[in-house]
Amino acid sequence: MSSPSQLSGRDVLRQSVRGQRRDVALGSLLGSGHQLGEAMVPVLIGLVIDRAVSGSDTGSLVSWLVVLAVGYVGLALSWRHSAWCAERAAAQAEHTLRISLVRRVLAPGGGAEEGRLPGALANIATEDAKRVGAVNLAATAGVSALAGVVVSAVVLLRMSVTLGLVVLLGTPVLLWLGHLLSKPLEERSEAEQERAAHASAVAADLVTGLRVLKGIGGESTALARYRTTSRDSLRATLKAARAQAFQSGMVLALTGCLIAAVALVGGRLAAQGDISLGQLVSAVGLALFLLGPLEVLAWVNAELAQGRASATRIAEVLAAPPAVTPGTATLTEPVRGAVRLTGVTLGGLRDLDLDIAPGELLGVVATDPAHATDLLRCLARRSDPEAGTVELDGVPLRDLDPAELRTALLVAEHDADLFEGTVRSNVTAAAPDTSDPEAAMTAAGVTQVAQTLPDGEDTAVSEAGRSLSGGQRQRVALARALAAERPVLVVHDPTTAVDAVTEAGIATGVREIRKGRTTVLVTNSPALLSVTDRVVLLEDGRVTDTATHVELIHRHETYRAAVLS
Amino acid sequence: MSDLELPFSTRELLPTATPRRTRAAVGELVRPRRGLAVGAFAVMVAATAIGLLVQPLLGRMVDLVADHRPPDELTLPAVLLVLVAVAQGGTTALGLPLVSRLGETVLAQLRERFVERALQLPLEQVEKAGSGDLNARVTRDVSVVGEAVRGALPELARSLLAIVLTFAALAALDWRFLLAALLAVPVQAGTARWYVRNAVPLYAEQRIAMGAQQQQLLDTISGAGTVRAFRLEEPHTESVTQRSSTAVALTMRGVRLVLGFYNRLHIAEYTGLAAVLVTGFLLVRADSVSIGTATAAALYFHSLFGPINQALALLDDAQSATAALARLVGVADVPVPESAPPAPTAQHREPGTVTVTGVHHEYVPGRPVLRDVHLTLAAGERVALVGPSGAGKTTLAKLIAGVHRPTSGTVHLTGASTTADSLQVALVTQETHVFAGPLADDLRLARADASDEALRKALTEVDALDWVSALPEGLDTVVGEGGHRLTAAQVQQLALARLVLADPPVAVLDEATAEAGSTGARLLEKAADRAIEDRTALVVAHRLTQAADADRIVVMDGGRIVESGTHDELCAAAGTYASLWQAWSGTRTTAEKPPTRPSTGTTTTMKDH
Repeated sequence: MSSPSQLSGRDVLRQSVRGQRRDVALGSLLGSGHQLGEAMVPVLIGLVIDRAVSGSDTGSLVSWLVVLAVGYVGLALSWRHSAWCAERAAAQAEHTLRISLVRRVLAPGGGAEEGRLPGALANIATEDAKRVGAVNLAATAGVSALAGVVVSAVVLLRMSVTLGLVVLLGTPVLLWLGHLLSKPLEERSEAEQERAAHASAVAADLVTGLRVLKGIGGESTALARYRTTSRDSLRATLKAARAQAFQSGMVLALTGCLIAAVALVGGRLAAQGDISLGQLVSAVGLALFLLGPLEVLAWVNAELAQGRASATRIAEVLAAPPAVTPGTATLTEPVRGAVRLTGVTLGGLRDLDLDIAPGELLGVVATDPAHATDLLRCLARRSDPEAGTVELDGVPLRDLDPAELRTALLVAEHDADLFEGTVRSNVTAAAPDTSDPEAAMTAAGVTQVAQTLPDGEDTAVSEAGRSLSGGQRQRVALARALAAERPVLVVHDPTTAVDAVTEAGIATGVREIRKGRTTVLVTNSPALLSVTDRVVLLEDGRVTDTATHVELIHRHETYRAAVLS
Repeated sequence: MSDLELPFSTRELLPTATPRRTRAAVGELVRPRRGLAVGAFAVMVAATAIGLLVQPLLGRMVDLVADHRPPDELTLPAVLLVLVAVAQGGTTALGLPLVSRLGETVLAQLRERFVERALQLPLEQVEKAGSGDLNARVTRDVSVVGEAVRGALPELARSLLAIVLTFAALAALDWRFLLAALLAVPVQAGTARWYVRNAVPLYAEQRIAMGAQQQQLLDTISGAGTVRAFRLEEPHTESVTQRSSTAVALTMRGVRLVLGFYNRLHIAEYTGLAAVLVTGFLLVRADSVSIGTATAAALYFHSLFGPINQALALLDDAQSATAALARLVGVADVPVPESAPPAPTAQHREPGTVTVTGVHHEYVPGRPVLRDVHLTLAAGERVALVGPSGAGKTTLAKLIAGVHRPTSGTVHLTGASTTADSLQVALVTQETHVFAGPLADDLRLARADASDEALRKALTEVDALDWVSALPEGLDTVVGEGGHRLTAAQVQQLALARLVLADPPVAVLDEATAEAGSTGARLLEKAADRAIEDRTALVVAHRLTQAADADRIVVMDGGRIVESGTHDELCAAAGTYASLWQAWSGTRTTAEKPPTRPSTGTTTTMKDH
């Protein structure tokens, strides 16, 4: 296996097939058997006509029908098992890829989601994984189709070299001609189909924003716009349909011509006595049959191309460089919670010094919200500072494994996502088994939230928490952060969507529950700041003043403006 | 916000049409295109019938060989075969677009009517059904029906025609061939019924599993930061694995079903083929038909495998398309709600007044959320609504905005818009959406005929012109789904710019500035202040500084209005508001106002221009 940094799409593809080699091999073998059977059906029809019907021989009719029955059983069984193996290989490979993608995205070092939207990443884990998985199916089908072609070739050439050559050269030429004729059409129709799909995307978008739309009375404008899109889309679809119909007609005509040619050549050979009547019938049947596996081969080709493109996208995610690299140092238990930033420069932070004592409840007020975000980024070790160091209990964060750091220090982001489950399961998600989630829920005001919900704490949370209101969501997220009971907790703007009364209650609750453990509240909310031991004011990326909230309110004009305006 | 949203149990899904009504609706749409329908059918019948000449011609060649005729006589049927091929290709190329034209035009008309009704549905009804219902219909059902019309319909039409006409051709060769071929039909019919019965619920289950898997992936991936911060990597990987495994298991169940389906069809194929061969044998022995005819019959039957398998495999597509169609027709048939009486028009828009009289409201009978609310918003007055969560603020805002009708009592609006059909009350909430497409198009949803100049002016009003101009293509930058990503604050600024463009006499802002974080909220509040200038406005605020600035503050608790007055009056009254303000400002003493704002009780706000 190659090292992750140089993993290529080809590697992903190869590993994905190798992982399913048993199923792929067995599926190919049985699939070849099925193709053999399918090829034999027209041959057997020819034989029945030749041996039984033309000679009116009851005995041979019965025996050939038995042969036909045996053939059918064989082809049915082998097809069934081959398809089963191939499908299982595809599904398993897809599943394996999906899980490794998720593992990579969640790796403590991060970095995989850099520059990719969540929707796009989820798409790679579903659509692209499916395409790469389907390569197993394509490989199986490809080998089987090849076997079908070879069998037909052998049968035809053994009948008559001339007739065999007509069929064997005729079918690929026919497919190639059909492909050639339809290629420009196909390209055009693909673009048109895309435009056709646009109509449903527009409709979905309008309906998603229905409330917003109704709020400003934009329904009629939106409808007029949708009508235009729908009509455009209709025109495009009809154009595409004409192109496709032309292609179908062309393929039909060409196939008919091939059959005519085979029948003429075969008929003349039969008239001259070179081949039997049954062989003539078989040859026509085989010509028709051959189109199947040859089309499958063309399909396999297209699937492989798509699989390669998808595999490249998957390889890019799997090989994405991590945002931070783990160190080897460890923290001494129990963590005291002393955090020190020395000369930290990152984003908007300039040479920032900040000392947070163990057990302190510190408020941080940033005049520029971007600077607050930068501070959180280096505390959470989502990035390492460009200069300076951040230490926890005297150990530089850079030297720690980010996973270990996060068991000691939790940064709860303002836009923290909730996950599917219940209110309670969200709160207890990261809580140690020994902890009592009730305390965290009371402190964060979730108890009140639960009272207004249909099923209380057991109310389902869906769509990343969007089934709750902004204020409810924030309180549940805060309770989760409190229940995690980390030695150091950094919380960012936890109550922006919470009403003033509740916010005041939460402020007291947080102070109570975090007593004796280091807690940093990055916020401009006076209600929260008033319960802190000390507040630092962050201006232009550095600390310009520090004192209690009350003192700062009285003595610092900038602080007053930042907190109370 | 949704503190008061309906519990799941009271959901009333949007209507679904009965099979009979669905057929009738399709009939209504097809009827004006009867000529096209008949033409399409005729051409496709011709194309299929021409194709059926192939087997007799091949049979003729077999007969010529069997009768030891000179090889040159084979040329004529061979040339005829070529002509048949060309004619069949030509008619097919002609007929298929007619089928598509019929299907696609009907589909386009249906989806337009559907979207029209969907946009007209009262929000109350949409909310009762859960927004997911309408969303699913517009995304999944429209595309399911669309794909069926595009792919399955022409295929099914061709296959069915081929089957029917091939049977006819078998009968034309000799009626006994038809009887033999029909032996396969019971097996096929049974298989089809068995398949549809099992496939439809299974595929529904599959769709749910895929949806759950997709949702879990989106949850986990978009929340990757949170997952890492809380060290939830293992449980989340476990959840994804579980959902993915469920999807795999269901996929394999689907595969097994399809395999079983084809297995049974193989039996049908063998039964029919053997019967046709035996019939040929007997008829040739009795000298009733020639060897060529027997060959043609066998070839006919062999050529049926494709269309029959095709048609049966399309059955479940057809089934799910029919179900989707019923859901579309159900919404398209919803009667249009009677439109509000046209508002008085005037040369210039004037701020309106709002009178709420004795309003009582409950979502669930017996659980009142508003009790006996009386409130008047004078023309041009800016009223702030404050109170703890669950006090009924959002419900009152929604009633005034006309989203819900009060259970009892009245909400009366007067005011003058510049046009008869323009908007009376605009509602901006913390729920945001950026419409996909150029930013200018998004804004023009509020006023279709707005010039670029007007758009810029509206953006200036809400302090957004700077960043909009800095976008790669300015006003033409594609935003929304798949476009340029905007921040939460920018999205909300756009919402306010739309409000400015819609220019309603009355504006309701429901925590429209809440989601932007504390510093962003302040900038948004300024933008909101300017957007509602010169309008009668109701502002639901949780940041009290925003409330303190209003002409009047109305305090709600437990569904009632408990206090009303200016900031100074309420602070002096030492009631609920005074204690809220105390909690908010923390250390501050009673009537002190925020430092950056002049402490007047009138409409004056700080203006930057």
